[in-house]
Amino acid sequence: MKGKLESSERERLVEEGKNLKESLVTLEEDLVKLKDELQHVAQSIPNMTHPDVPVGGEDSSAIRKEVGCPREFNFPIKDHLQLGKDLDLIDFDSAAEVSGSKFFYLKNEAVLLEMALLNWTLSQVMKKGYTPLTTPEIVRSSIVEKCGFQPRGDNTQVYSIDGTDQCLIGTAEIPLGGIHMDSILLESALPLKYIAFSHCFRTEAGAAGAATKGLYRVHQFSKAEMFVICRPEDSEFFHHELIQIEEDLFTSLGLHFKTLDMATADLGAPAYRKFDIEAWMPGFGRFGEISSASNCTDYQSRRLGIRYRPSEPLQTGPKKGKANLPATKFVHTLNATACAVPRMMVCLLENYQQEDGSVVIPEPLRPFMGGIELIKPKLK
Amino acid sequence: MSLHKLRLAAAVPVTISTFSSRLFLKPFPNTLTLGLFSRRLQPRKPLLVRAFSASAAVQDIPANQTTVSSARRPQWKASIDFKWIRDNKEAVEINIKNRNSNADLDAVLELYENMVNLQKEVERLREERNNVAKKMKGKLEPSERDRLVEEGKYLKESLVSLEEDLVKLKDELQHVAQSIPNMTHPDVPVGGEDSSAIRKEVGCPREFNFPIKDHLQLGKDLDLIDFDSAAEVSGSKFFYLKNEAVLLEMALLNWTLSQVMKKGYTPLTTPEIVRSSIVEKCGFQPRGDNTQVYSIDGTDQCLIGTAEIPLGGIHMDSILLESALPLKYIAFSHCFRTEAGAAGAATKGLYRVHQFSKAEMFVICRPEDSEFFHHELIQIEEDLFTSLGLHFKTLDMATADLGAPAYRKFDIEAWMPGFGRFGEISSASNCTDYQSRRLGIRYRPSEPLQTGPNKGKANLPATKFVHTLNATACAVPRMMVCLLENYQQEDGSVVIPEPLRPFMGGIELIKPKLK
Repeated sequence: MKGKLESSERERLVEEGKNLKESLVTLEEDLVKLKDELQHVAQSIPNMTHPDVPVGGEDSSAIRKEVGCPREFNFPIKDHLQLGKDLDLIDFDSAAEVSGSKFFYLKNEAVLLEMALLNWTLSQVMKKGYTPLTTPEIVRSSIVEKCGFQPRGDNTQVYSIDGTDQCLIGTAEIPLGGIHMDSILLESALPLKYIAFSHCFRTEAGAAGAATKGLYRVHQFSKAEMFVICRPEDSEFFHHELIQIEEDLFTSLGLHFKTLDMATADLGAPAYRKFDIEAWMPGFGRFGEISSASNCTDYQSRRLGIRYRPSEPLQTGPKKGKANLPATKFVHTLNATACAVPRMMVCLLENYQQEDGSVVIPEPLRPFMGGIELIKPKLK
Repeated sequence: MSLHKLRLAAAVPVTISTFSSRLFLKPFPNTLTLGLFSRRLQPRKPLLVRAFSASAAVQDIPANQTTVSSARRPQWKASIDFKWIRDNKEAVEINIKNRNSNADLDAVLELYENMVNLQKEVERLREERNNVAKKMKGKLEPSERDRLVEEGKYLKESLVSLEEDLVKLKDELQHVAQSIPNMTHPDVPVGGEDSSAIRKEVGCPREFNFPIKDHLQLGKDLDLIDFDSAAEVSGSKFFYLKNEAVLLEMALLNWTLSQVMKKGYTPLTTPEIVRSSIVEKCGFQPRGDNTQVYSIDGTDQCLIGTAEIPLGGIHMDSILLESALPLKYIAFSHCFRTEAGAAGAATKGLYRVHQFSKAEMFVICRPEDSEFFHHELIQIEEDLFTSLGLHFKTLDMATADLGAPAYRKFDIEAWMPGFGRFGEISSASNCTDYQSRRLGIRYRPSEPLQTGPNKGKANLPATKFVHTLNATACAVPRMMVCLLENYQQEDGSVVIPEPLRPFMGGIELIKPKLK
């Protein structure tokens, strides 16, 4: 229409232009809606799975490693709830009045034990080059979703704050994933390795019937979480580094445990591969999960928008991004529990109890508890 | 009988809040409860329905009783000593004025008077009904019997109505009386912020011979604090601590715990989600505008703003033995505060945040001991901050600056060179029996009393309300402001105070990191 035209020709073009414009507007609206719908259904597609992961349900998980053996007791043993009462360490009853079920107060040496566990874990993991962090425990719900959790479903594990779009975190993995969201990192900055402390809050809705006794399943607990951001080719390596750190920690504490390669039906949507550690809990008479280490490959980074720019400039080719810079790639993220305090406490109390009702403190923790070697029954 | 009833109704100027008065004027939709009181899930409807049947007259309400306050009608009763208030009303009125409280003493006294009279009336009617019942056991003429039956029926109906009124009156009385603040220690200065008295001053501002940074700059330069990522993830006033700052937080908490335990305080960790009624009983307002309290969606639960709340709750609705007192706790928790209404106040960096770690001391004791423990608590705080080498002053807070629960409050303000002024780092309050009357914490004195009017059940002495006190041992972000700003060096590093070094693996210095 920029050229010189006959008036009838011009009018015809104007008409055609108008039609095209209207059609475009409609189609563009449809496109937006389609893209939204596509996003919505596609986001449910779980991560791919490592070829070595056993296929099947809970019973198909493979044992990678077993450390120690169940301690033999020559006296009738107590579970952690009884020990907690007798040694004045745990109060569930007052908490039920103040807050509701599955809340608790820790008292006396149990407080020192929690602090020793966290302090010792921090110092051990820092030695492996992990940067210590504390994190917000209130986050925007969009971050929760981008990490692969469902804040708004029925039976959601997530507490929401009234009148806001904010939630309480169920794990430090969430604010850790959020630190570098919508960022492009330099390859030279990778890997980023964090160990973060936080309190964690979980509704445990839908956990009725599952093991819920005492400290095993609670609404609020302290946890030290490891988080790694790395290049895709390195995530397998770091998955093994993380599980090794966990196994070393629990071995040092003298626990009897097994490391499981979780089967396909037991992986969360984000996990490419997941190693769980279950420790022997004599009071329950069975193994209970004390940690979990997941390789989420690029599932979370594609949602959180965490990319990196490779260092070496690429040759001229179809993959070249802006100007002379290589195209960015998505990082891989991994997360692993270094210490979930209540479950550790179940293990330590139940495994280290003595006939006289006292509990021995494992050696590595003693310097972090002012040298205390034993939790003794208190005189009344 | 009927005349008497009408006379009573006219003589009782029951003050019913705006909310229920609206009910008289409009139909009562089921959704009203959910709409206005979206967070109160308790079934209040039965009481509201009764409001329709009440015969009590509706009067104008005092101007300072707003719809908002009536919407927050508590579900529990404080054991308020109305007789004492009535007998000391001048002192109570002066106290209310001094504290700039909007409590309405006149309304309380009026309601109390009405309640007492109505109570007497109810008892009188009950006695009459009993008399009628007795008479009906004997041999009677049929007309006499009929008359008595009629009378009995009438008495019963009157009683039901009056008893309903009495319940409503008691509720209303509770509601207005709960706003009455605690009495005040005679030594507390009267007035506003500027009237607070300095009890003690320790140290002096450090002189710097180089340009100093504030804690935010130090936090950035030493890679210790990240507000920017937290703003994306959570919002403003949230932060990540990194590297040595994490070790510093843990050292502060560990060291504080060990110091305070030496004074006989029992360490605790507490729930950080509590029922909102507990928050109210401690003297906070979870539901008001500008509330400091975060509520959890779909429940009656809130996040705690201080461990004082779950600590107060541990022994609620209990009778303790005198021999168990005092109970002295030091509790760690994370604390969550909306800081709504704090705009304009100092808000920079770590000074005002939504989430922080705090070690809190809490004492439950006999009334005669609370003054002693208030001084013990402030002494512990002063010793802690002196050990850390801080320059600070201890203030006896003036009446207008006391929260409703506090009989007396000592605040400690420490010098923050980056701000160029003092900032509050701790607060120690003696709440006497304000919280215990709401939480229902009593004790039974040990020595048996002589026979006398005060004797409770059987041979046991009557229970009394305990006194409660609370004091900040360590509020981590504010301590961090002080330590970073006061201990900075010219080369950009920060010295760690000696007492904390053993708790940080011996680290003496936070050094700038090579990049």
